[in-house]
Amino acid sequence: MEQRKLTRRQMLRVLVAGSGAAALAACGAQAPATGPAPTTAPGGGEAQAPTTAPATAAPTVVSQTGSTVNITYWGSFSGGLGEAEQAMVQRFNEAQNEVKVEYQFQGSYEETAQKFTAALQANVIPDVILLSDVWWFGFYVAGAIAELDGLAQQAAVDFADYEPVLLNEGVRQGKHFWIPFARSTPLFYYNKQLWAEAGLPDRAPETWAEFSEWAPKLVVKEGDKLTRAAFLHPNGASYIAWLFQGVTWQHGGQYSLPDFTMTMTDANTVRAAQFYQDTARKLGWATLVQELNKDFIGGVGAAMLASTGGLAGITRDAPFKVGVGFLPRETSFGCCTGGAGLAIPSGTPDEKKLAAMKYIAFATNPEQAGIWSRSTGYMPVRISTKQSPEMQAFFTENPNFKTAVEQLPLTRAQDAARVFVRNGDQIIGKGLERIIVNGEAPATVFADVNQELSTAAAPILEDLKAVEG
Amino acid sequence: MALPDELVLARPVESVQARRQGRRWRLAGYLAMALAMLVIGLPVYWTLIAAFKTSAEIYGPPTWFPQAPTLANFPAAWNAAPFARFYLNSFITTLGGMAAEVFFAVTSAYALAFLRFPRKDLVFLLLLAALMVPVEITIVPNYLTIARLGWINTYQGIIIPGAAIAYGTFLLRQAFKALPYEVIEAARVDGAGHLRTLVSVVIPMAQPAIVTMALLSLVAKWNDFLWPLIVTNTANMRTLPIGIYWLRNSEGVINWGVVMAGSLFLIIPVMIAFLFVQRYIVEGIAAGAVKG
Repeated sequence: MEQRKLTRRQMLRVLVAGSGAAALAACGAQAPATGPAPTTAPGGGEAQAPTTAPATAAPTVVSQTGSTVNITYWGSFSGGLGEAEQAMVQRFNEAQNEVKVEYQFQGSYEETAQKFTAALQANVIPDVILLSDVWWFGFYVAGAIAELDGLAQQAAVDFADYEPVLLNEGVRQGKHFWIPFARSTPLFYYNKQLWAEAGLPDRAPETWAEFSEWAPKLVVKEGDKLTRAAFLHPNGASYIAWLFQGVTWQHGGQYSLPDFTMTMTDANTVRAAQFYQDTARKLGWATLVQELNKDFIGGVGAAMLASTGGLAGITRDAPFKVGVGFLPRETSFGCCTGGAGLAIPSGTPDEKKLAAMKYIAFATNPEQAGIWSRSTGYMPVRISTKQSPEMQAFFTENPNFKTAVEQLPLTRAQDAARVFVRNGDQIIGKGLERIIVNGEAPATVFADVNQELSTAAAPILEDLKAVEG
Repeated sequence: MALPDELVLARPVESVQARRQGRRWRLAGYLAMALAMLVIGLPVYWTLIAAFKTSAEIYGPPTWFPQAPTLANFPAAWNAAPFARFYLNSFITTLGGMAAEVFFAVTSAYALAFLRFPRKDLVFLLLLAALMVPVEITIVPNYLTIARLGWINTYQGIIIPGAAIAYGTFLLRQAFKALPYEVIEAARVDGAGHLRTLVSVVIPMAQPAIVTMALLSLVAKWNDFLWPLIVTNTANMRTLPIGIYWLRNSEGVINWGVVMAGSLFLIIPVMIAFLFVQRYIVEGIAAGAVKG
């Protein structure tokens, strides 16, 4: 019995790898294999062996005709986003003949990351991988993703033209590991029709205090039952902790300090949580829903905070005119970034690394970043993209999208507690559900959350110390 | 079958009160059945009508019938991904996987039910233990094994890890145990070996249980999502459930009409399979019910 328990726990540990220890162990186990990697790599490994010698002088090899480097790219885009991504890959493959990319869909961000964990152990890794804001750090700590500065130089990537707030999130100790690609931010959405019916000015509220004045006019009640809320909160699974991140900053609080000290019990963080609770209980104009976008479109609520990534879809499907604005202020403005970026596994052979970097450079060049942004609703990651005539025309047609882009320079990277602590997002999200739905005291709940986050952060801190000293 | 005769024999002995009580129970039974129908049927109905709705209608207030029925979702879903290829892959992996699972379940259940060998109880206990381990736990070890065999992105990679499932063996072992042992003894006396006994006596007698088990296996493999997703990389090796997942948007607004149309691609073949073998399943369930 005892024995079975043990193996089960070990297996669980393997499953939650990517968090650190297990993934690190995996890389440790893999490390001896990286030396002779070209020979051990399955399929065509032997054939690659001769090319590894001149890999240091890769450009000369690659410039020879007929030496196309094939690379695989694991991503999480499906549906309309998947089609946009495949179009991007196709444009890259047609634009040059040195590198050929194959885009392979691997499920959600979570499934992609889990598969990458397993793939690292089995040494069957992709050459480019899309990792979300909450996942890349775990792989960085495990040493599984490569430093990109040298490659970026070879591929002539101009880091100065990237939106600094987005680019700097992927920088550790002055080195780039994670290049922004599909990045979004929260945005304040409102239903223009209900706004007009309530006689409100056609704009987002400047402050939460102002919205609190407006809210009673937007609410519809049947007896005590709220049939239409002024504001909608998502549930934990729909990343309420991401949207609440900005709200804590607005109140002068934060989830954690950069050194992983948890600050959930900070008076201002608790004040922000108290505000969220009041909106749903004492003030009674907000409600927590399971499907945020759907309920906003369905008119269950008049306003919400939601990702810029949904802007195009919501505008298309809503039977009313959709308005957007910056997040409301409290004592200050606060808004975070989110979404996914591209990384290159450290186990990828050198000549493929450069090919992978060339794809990343292409996918984030000013022109392609613009096409991607216009077809998906993600933020343009390049500064110069915004000035392009295509983008300017797009802004004129979609003033809402312009608002989203204008808010971008005011955003900042999220606190470590949500993105760097394994499962931190869900720990905070569940806490917020307890506060909003169960009406538990914010101070008590966040004390629990603080404890849980600290426990979860401990192993990562240890690994981080080993990596960064 | 013997079933109706038994009931007829039992009935005259019943008292009036017992009969009334029986009727009440029957009514409760029908109510429970109707409730179950509703719980199971409503989502299916919702899927069906959503496939014919426009996106705006799905996101609007709920409607019981499509207000402006559209067929546009079906070509949209079909063209979004190579569904013909997904069908082929699903057929190959499901039928292959089911055949392997039934074969291993029948043979191992026969051994556990009728053979005498040392530590048989222990083997059975191990089987039960395996039954308790969630599939998710075994995914990473399985992935590593498959990767080292070089079977990533192949049919055998999808099929082999699910070729023998403890559940099937367990189910059939219980069914085999319930068979009248006299018949098997008679076959032995007539000189039948194990293979002959299995093929000519045990399998025909336990047919309902085997068909039920095969169908459960069929549905499980047909709907399996996580393992085929993890073990395959390229679109031409993917199966139907992954195709439907591909129709969803990872961020933003999901086009549910198209997703539901894709779900119907998945549901319909299984429905047809059910209609074909439904007769055997009903018998299987009835047989199980009587033997309790």
